[in-house]
Amino acid sequence: MQPSPPKYAEKLLLLFLRDDFAEEVLGDLDEKFLVMLTKTSPRRARLNYWFQVINYMRPFAFKYFRSNSNLLTMINHNFLVGARILLKNKLFATINIGGLAIGMMVAILVGLWIHDEFSFNKGFENYDRTVQVLRKDSDDEIVEVNSSLPGQLGQKLAADYGNYFEQTAMTFYRNNPQLLKVGKVSLEQSGYYFEPAITRILEPEMVMGNPNGLDDDFGILLSETLANKLFRDEDPIGKNVAFNVSTNLVVTGVYKDFPKNSTFGDAQFLVSLHLVYNAQNPHVWNNYNIRVYGLLREDVAIRDASVAIRDVLNNELNLEEPIDLLLIAMKDWHLNSFYVGGFQVTSPKMKFIWLYAIVGMLVLLIACINFMNLNTARYQTRIKEVGVRKAVGSFRSNLITQFLSESLLYSVAALFLSLIVVYLLLPSFNTITEKALIFPGGNVWFWLICLAFALFATLLAGSYPAAFLSSFNPVKALRGNAKPGSGSIRFRQLLVIFQFVVSIILIIGTIVVYQQISYAKDRPVGYNQDRLMTIIGRSDDFYINHNVIRNDLKSAGVVEEVAVANYPLTNTLGNNNGFMYNGERIDGTFNTIFTGPEYGATVQWELLAGRNFSRELDESGSIILSASAVDMIGLDDPIGKVIQSSSERNGKRRFNIIGVVNDMVKASPFEPTQPLMVFCTKSPMPFMFIRLRPGTDYVTAIPQVQAIYEKHLPDEGFNYNFIEDQYLIKFKDEEQIGNFAAVFCLLAILISCLGLFGLSSFVVSQRVKEIGIRKVLGASVPNLWSLLSRDFGVLVLISCVIAIPVAFYILSGWLDGYGYSVDLESWVFIVGSATCILITLATVSYHSIKVSRANPVESLRAE
Amino acid sequence: MKDSKLGDFEETLLLIVGILAKEAYAFKIAEEFEAQTKKATSIGAVHSTLERLGKKGFLKSEMGAPTSERGGRRKRIYEITAEGHRALEASRDLKVSLWSQYPAFAGYKLKFV
Repeated sequence: MQPSPPKYAEKLLLLFLRDDFAEEVLGDLDEKFLVMLTKTSPRRARLNYWFQVINYMRPFAFKYFRSNSNLLTMINHNFLVGARILLKNKLFATINIGGLAIGMMVAILVGLWIHDEFSFNKGFENYDRTVQVLRKDSDDEIVEVNSSLPGQLGQKLAADYGNYFEQTAMTFYRNNPQLLKVGKVSLEQSGYYFEPAITRILEPEMVMGNPNGLDDDFGILLSETLANKLFRDEDPIGKNVAFNVSTNLVVTGVYKDFPKNSTFGDAQFLVSLHLVYNAQNPHVWNNYNIRVYGLLREDVAIRDASVAIRDVLNNELNLEEPIDLLLIAMKDWHLNSFYVGGFQVTSPKMKFIWLYAIVGMLVLLIACINFMNLNTARYQTRIKEVGVRKAVGSFRSNLITQFLSESLLYSVAALFLSLIVVYLLLPSFNTITEKALIFPGGNVWFWLICLAFALFATLLAGSYPAAFLSSFNPVKALRGNAKPGSGSIRFRQLLVIFQFVVSIILIIGTIVVYQQISYAKDRPVGYNQDRLMTIIGRSDDFYINHNVIRNDLKSAGVVEEVAVANYPLTNTLGNNNGFMYNGERIDGTFNTIFTGPEYGATVQWELLAGRNFSRELDESGSIILSASAVDMIGLDDPIGKVIQSSSERNGKRRFNIIGVVNDMVKASPFEPTQPLMVFCTKSPMPFMFIRLRPGTDYVTAIPQVQAIYEKHLPDEGFNYNFIEDQYLIKFKDEEQIGNFAAVFCLLAILISCLGLFGLSSFVVSQRVKEIGIRKVLGASVPNLWSLLSRDFGVLVLISCVIAIPVAFYILSGWLDGYGYSVDLESWVFIVGSATCILITLATVSYHSIKVSRANPVESLRAE
Repeated sequence: MKDSKLGDFEETLLLIVGILAKEAYAFKIAEEFEAQTKKATSIGAVHSTLERLGKKGFLKSEMGAPTSERGGRRKRIYEITAEGHRALEASRDLKVSLWSQYPAFAGYKLKFV
């Protein structure tokens, strides 16, 4: 179908255009549109149409321009007066518009951020019908929801529940980055092993090739980005890719990258799960290493399907403790997939959203308050005008309209300013928040919301000044003795207090967040992070050669010690219970790991009692405990005591405690450490730790280690990490809160001070004569300064009194969420309040000192 | 008040109206302006100027016949009036006279029209 001109643009045009012009103008614009269509895309043609319509908003073309409508004349007049007043006092205009613009900027950025969070996954074709299968484990006390499932379950659902699911697709529970190689280009990329049906669920937009390319077990689908990296300008279809060195795959398709704000946004490639699970290596019921996704049939409700599959695992496995299955809809994956005790609760991400939304609104509110304050404080400059207007017959409603349209002028100006700033700031905002937000300039809704937003700000900021300014009695106003009641002054003071309460809370909050981060960063971790590398073994060669690698590394000179373990050092995977002491069951769960004998010497934990494992002795019946594990069992003298286990480890059930080490922070540095049990093994383990000699230079050490590693494992790729770096990632969330709090806090203070700056300049200018007389009579500059600053100082003091308990309440609630947290100390509150008081006094002093130092002759001469 | 002065944009449009003759309506004039001057404009801006020229008495206009390519809508065809001609001539004469007095160019035989 031939694209037609945008309907709304046409409607808009007819709304304002003179009727006698309609025919020719519509004709001209149509013709222009058709010409544009032949030259460019329909989108650009439509955009141009809008441009043309907006360009018709000229006086000659307006319907009413020559009409004598009173209403329109008045509107015109109001804006004219508003613009003149705006231009007359440039300082006030700047402060007003600037403050409002900052507030709006914050609100718009937060809005875009929240919108992005809520549109997560919406880029997928079957957003409404896509589901994931979860399991709910219940034992006596704990109920847990988890997404790891056995592979045979996926097959069962596909085979027997076809009346609910149109498609199902399984993937690995963990998808590690894989090595892809084409010619000389070799890249480690994240991607997914999936069953072929996934492309029928997600329906990726294909750039070329076959969307069902995974039906071929040795096919690979590449994202557009990755295809460009691997093949440049060549046509990738049908070409070979070496996958993890040994497997040859054929490119069967290239898809447009999944949206970055989606669950699969990191998928650079898709390969078939049949590469791993096939006739030779079938799926099993007892290994929970699979995620299952599904596409519901059109007429199936998610509740029904969820109920239908609930007992599939229970029926199949005869479990002691039931595992129920449930479905979660794609719309809930991102923000509503947080379960505690089996129930969906507000997720931390959702809490973030609320936090930012509230703080963003507060900053905007502060900006609006500024506006109210400045305008009501300046009443005297407008009082005569109000008197005259009333005297010549203006109703109060007319005056309110007038003042509101002035506010509208300001807020629209502020809106445009803030949009420009947002546009410029968006790239750096994206870097901080790790998002890919784009400025939605082409979205009509965005503009409508912005407009609504400007109107809202107008009402919020302008209604009080309008009501206040229009309330004067004309006789008094003209005689010059109209004074606002003490109520209005008090109201203004309340507003200032509110502003500063928010600012002080934000200052204190920022300090505490940073304090908490540095407190956790300074926390002793219980081992030595300096120059400790870790590397994951992937191939069989790693397991076969691992002792040779170890010996070679140690003899290289730069390496002090090497050890392996079955789990990483920076998490607490491996949780077990079922231990006994003296025949009595020990309540609680231990983090249990298996390590090589040199583990202690490698990570350099702090041995409190006993000894480390030794390679020379038989350690299969030995165990090392952490201090908190000893406490949990309740041992006074642990060395030599025996712990029994209900299941076999190292072929044994009885373990001698040979050593006790200090607690190690393996999980979150903000939480208490988990009791640790370390068993010894001399067999190969996937996680290797390499301790470089103290003082070694990374630049020389790493290539040496790499050379040895690659000599033995030429195909594996030397992908190491430093424990230090892995540990720092744990602070990311908190650091983000801290940075946001700091930015919000700075902006809030900036806006509040802008307002105060304007307010004080006004108050001071009112008292110029008084100051002059006082000065003639002998008042000193400090005297005058304290006289002028006292009022504001008192307001800030009151704010402190209110803010401190509120901040205390909010922050102690926040810190309660952490197991390992800093104490709220009084100096934080004092520093926060003092900062605010100092900033306020500095702001106010600018004007008061200026006036105090002026020559009194200047101010008294006039009149 | 009738302003008889011609602005630069006005003058250019007036000439283009003359060039386009029977095809002189807002859209075509705007297109021709962009083609000749390589400058961007909008139909609205052109239309507004044409109206102003009409009010000054330099242009007259009437609705043409309906054509199918614009949904049967008629066009407003503009035509230069005698007064418009005089204004253009006056403008040209002034410029020619100025050019001929400019020493750097006075030696050359500049051909205007």
